[in-house]
Amino acid sequence: MTNINGKTYAMNAITPMNAFYTPILKLIFFILGHVKPLQADLIQLSFIHFARWVVVKRHQFPRLSEKQPQEQLHYDYLLFFSNFNGSWNQYIDAFADVLSNGLNLIWRWSARYPGARPVTDFKRYIGLVQFDTDYYYTAYPRATTNDVKAAHRVSAALEEFARNSKDMAPAEFGGAYLRLVTQVQMDLGATGIGPVGA
Amino acid sequence: MPNQSGNVYGLTVLSPILNGADGGVSHDCAIRDYLAKLPRDQRSPFAKVSSTHLARLVVMEDVVFVGTPAREEHLQSKYLVFETNFDGDLDTYLTRLARDAAEEVHAVWQHCVGYPGVEDPAAFAAYMKKCQIETTFFFAAVNNKTVQQTLRALKVQSGLAHFIESNQGKSAGEIQAAFRGFLEKVRHAPEPPAGEDEGHPHG
Amino acid sequence: MRRNRRLAKTKGIHMANQLNVADIQGFVLSGYNFPFARYLLLELEGPQNGRDFIGQIIPHVTTGQRWDNGKPQSTVNIAFTHKGLARLGLPDATLLSFPVEFLQGMKARKEILCDTGRNASENWDEVWRKDVVHVWLGVNALTPAALDERCAEMEGIVRQTGGARLLEAQDAKAVFIDNQPTSKEHFGYTDGFGNPDFEGAVRHSQPGQGKLTKEGEWIPLATGEFVLGYPDEAGELPVAPVPHLLANNGTFMVYRKLHQNVATFRDFLDAQSRAYGGGKEKFAAKIVGRWRDGTPIELSPGAGDPEIVADPKRNVKFTYGEDASGAHCPLGAHIRRANPRDSAGFHGQLVNRRRITRRGMPYGEYVPEGEPVRDEDDRGVIFMVLNASIFRQFEFVHQQWIEYGNDAHQGSDKDALLGNHDGRGRFLIQGSTDPRNPPFVCARLPQFVELRGGDYFFMPSLTALRLMADNSVDPR
Repeated sequence: MTNINGKTYAMNAITPMNAFYTPILKLIFFILGHVKPLQADLIQLSFIHFARWVVVKRHQFPRLSEKQPQEQLHYDYLLFFSNFNGSWNQYIDAFADVLSNGLNLIWRWSARYPGARPVTDFKRYIGLVQFDTDYYYTAYPRATTNDVKAAHRVSAALEEFARNSKDMAPAEFGGAYLRLVTQVQMDLGATGIGPVGA
Repeated sequence: MPNQSGNVYGLTVLSPILNGADGGVSHDCAIRDYLAKLPRDQRSPFAKVSSTHLARLVVMEDVVFVGTPAREEHLQSKYLVFETNFDGDLDTYLTRLARDAAEEVHAVWQHCVGYPGVEDPAAFAAYMKKCQIETTFFFAAVNNKTVQQTLRALKVQSGLAHFIESNQGKSAGEIQAAFRGFLEKVRHAPEPPAGEDEGHPHG
Repeated sequence: MRRNRRLAKTKGIHMANQLNVADIQGFVLSGYNFPFARYLLLELEGPQNGRDFIGQIIPHVTTGQRWDNGKPQSTVNIAFTHKGLARLGLPDATLLSFPVEFLQGMKARKEILCDTGRNASENWDEVWRKDVVHVWLGVNALTPAALDERCAEMEGIVRQTGGARLLEAQDAKAVFIDNQPTSKEHFGYTDGFGNPDFEGAVRHSQPGQGKLTKEGEWIPLATGEFVLGYPDEAGELPVAPVPHLLANNGTFMVYRKLHQNVATFRDFLDAQSRAYGGGKEKFAAKIVGRWRDGTPIELSPGAGDPEIVADPKRNVKFTYGEDASGAHCPLGAHIRRANPRDSAGFHGQLVNRRRITRRGMPYGEYVPEGEPVRDEDDRGVIFMVLNASIFRQFEFVHQQWIEYGNDAHQGSDKDALLGNHDGRGRFLIQGSTDPRNPPFVCARLPQFVELRGGDYFFMPSLTALRLMADNSVDPR
């Protein structure tokens, strides 16, 4: 199952777009990139490490030599690459449940896109436009995005505690240590083996 | 700069694959065969280029026909898609690829059009930039920590959890003494290897 | 019509009952609350006799209609495994149109369910190990005498038609304390709260059992999450086998026999609570998220509160918004894992398609606290789940939220009570600087619950049973 490494899934999708719509989509992405609150939902879903959309215009496919045949395309193409935690179904269900407007805004310009709700048609469409990963690497396969964020919070808390408690007497240290524990207590879940991708 | 989010660079490269075959095996199949056997853990070439957070290689065979009234059309070449998320700037990364993962890079990209070899990292970098597609929108959940900082933080996290568990119920003095030892260990811990996997159902 | 429905929903008003309750089996809509049960596990003999048997059973099947003449002495319901449907000779196209997890059966889903180690099928009861269960015939009764009488009647039909063979009868009964049936289970927890409230549900809805609106009100969930043939939370008719007539008003049932290691649990509770600053009952409450008397710890962090327990308007009505740190109800507590409510953000929306209806009955003899008890004794709970999609609902909750912890921000930690720990589990109780509510790590959790068998069932409507009995299932 080469789409998965550890707890992360690599999804690739390609959809054709009528070239007339491409500037509209690019504008939407421009706004998304510059108006941070619009990204809040994506951040809150917290199971995406990295995701990107790449518009490849029909004349933009790289041509490195005269011997390479020229592409003759009618459509522009929207490529989507996501690195997320959880199963394929969980990922799509979550997006369809809470981010369907955002999804529709991005993919409505793609040919025959059915809309993110109801989800069954949407999953069928994704199945059609998704293509499999041949090789997937992650520097931290045992960690989900939640784990990574938690680890950084714990690290920072420990550093600060180490600095502040350096010269404390035991009694004072005890109190400070308890406060450290309550500070990191939400972030100590073990990393390790994850569930089988269903 | 849409390719960048904080300190992380999102590189997307589409390298046209040579049409035809070399010794009976088509170039795209040769790439696939090689990738199928390439280790994905700390022995991965991307572990050697250790600024890589997550990276993938995909042989994209063709565009998709989504059904009438959409038109059917086809690509004239297959493309090797390289999607990577890494720390630092592009030139440094591409140079490291050519230098630190020379063998694997060559094994894969030798099947691509216009590939100049890895002996000259500058030429390789220029070639990859010719194949680069600008990332239109890039989202990174954590974009201000390097791979090494993340690996270290994960070790600290599990270390502290274990420390809290082992010292539960002890006196303040005992914990303080133990903590000093713990801190020493954390400060002098070796660099955790990138890509290390303790074993999961997919192997 | 749809607009009115939406308006009505947002105002928290139920639409008129539009469920065809005469066609839906009663067990789907109500747990009955009878203290005694026996589950007859049958193997079907063949298509012809099997259909005769079903035809004879149909008049006995309890539907979802209200009991205007008072409770009957006993109820009967029936469900089938995929193998059972195949033995009945349903058309291949129909058989193949069932969801893949039902087709495979629970035993084959062991990787997803983490039914390995102590939960592996090698340790199951023989009847479940051997893949021969075709029919679950569930009889619930008010008295042991009524139970025996009804079961005898059912076994009579089995014999008379020659359509089936009784493999095993699994008894179950409520925990009796002072000769009164309770809703406690063997670890001492009061169970049975939190079943989802959905549109058209027969019983009175309780605030907290449905879903949260953006304004923070509780309204019923879409029926299609629990009964096939009705719109679900995704805004469509749920994926269902063909033909519609076979699927509509039916649902899927998960049956799991969970052995409970009561001695291990009681020892664990005693040992850990000696080190835990809050005392034994609080420790027990932190594991589950409810005090053993049933009070949600979120509503009463300091002690159990019988008034809250007794008040249906309060005993499931709470959210976790004020408790993001888990200081009251730990992030990994059982009920917080199984139903995160608003913990998952988006005012609870991500949870709406992960709800399950639970029916459970303890089995085996109850031993009060303080009296000697052994792990090896035969006791536990027969755990049954009803949902429109086993994969999306039960399997998801079990795999992602019970046997794993990422969505609860607990990494790979499993549910303390139900997880398949094999001695290596860990549970973190978040706390505060108050010494009566300290942060506390439980390590090397033993296995409290062990799987002893079960399978996936389809619980058809009365119409579907008639179709099956008449051999007129047509998949088009």
